[in-house]
Amino acid sequence: MMIGLGAALGSIGRYLITIRLKKVSGWPLATLLINLSGAFALGLLFGLNLLPDVYKILGIGFFGGYTTFSTFNVELLALHHSQARRLELFYGLTSYLGGLLLVTLGFWSSKMF
Amino acid sequence: MEKFKCLFSIGIFGALGGICRYLIGLQLDYRGDLLVNLLGCFLLGFLTYFWLNFREIANWLSLGLGTGFVGSFTTFSSFCLDNLKLLLAGQNLALLLYLLISIAGGWIAALIGIKAGTEIGRRFSQSGEEDD
Repeated sequence: MMIGLGAALGSIGRYLITIRLKKVSGWPLATLLINLSGAFALGLLFGLNLLPDVYKILGIGFFGGYTTFSTFNVELLALHHSQARRLELFYGLTSYLGGLLLVTLGFWSSKMF
Repeated sequence: MEKFKCLFSIGIFGALGGICRYLIGLQLDYRGDLLVNLLGCFLLGFLTYFWLNFREIANWLSLGLGTGFVGSFTTFSSFCLDNLKLLLAGQNLALLLYLLISIAGGWIAALIGIKAGTEIGRRFSQSGEEDD
């Protein structure tokens, strides 16, 4: 139940950030920022050794709901179909490489506490 | 009021998506994340392009199902963390497979979803017009 609450808030947060940033740029900057910040935060939470219930609500619930894999891939294909192949490659690479780097950085920074 | 309705719908459906992801993850661990992510890519591609043929769909419903349920069902942060966990556990082969299947599979699943959604949506809207 508490995981649901976390996921609800995460989804609403993602939506609000997305509508705010959509007007600014012509490419999926919002999802990129959401996914990268979420990856860092989850790495950090995981490393902090929180109580299992707290981790479930924040990590699995909130940040799981906040970040999204499906929107990211559908956006990649939208770029693909509009012939923006370079942008598609750039978006894919920054998401995957950035996400893996940031989750590691988050985990690593948790060890400084 | 309309905005509140959309936010409420995204929240409720987002909660359901997160709970479904958690329950599947309990059974399957990181393979659960792989499953929900690939399934979600197909579903979101399907829904997004299926609805293009139906302008009358209520905003709160399409946002609730797409942004709320499917968006929350899939996860990018857990995907990244799964990779780190596999790396720390020294499961290099599983790590490589997980990465490759997620990256290629997510893209292909979204592509199939988009194609299916476009095609089925077109047929639906055509048969609807014939009925009129």
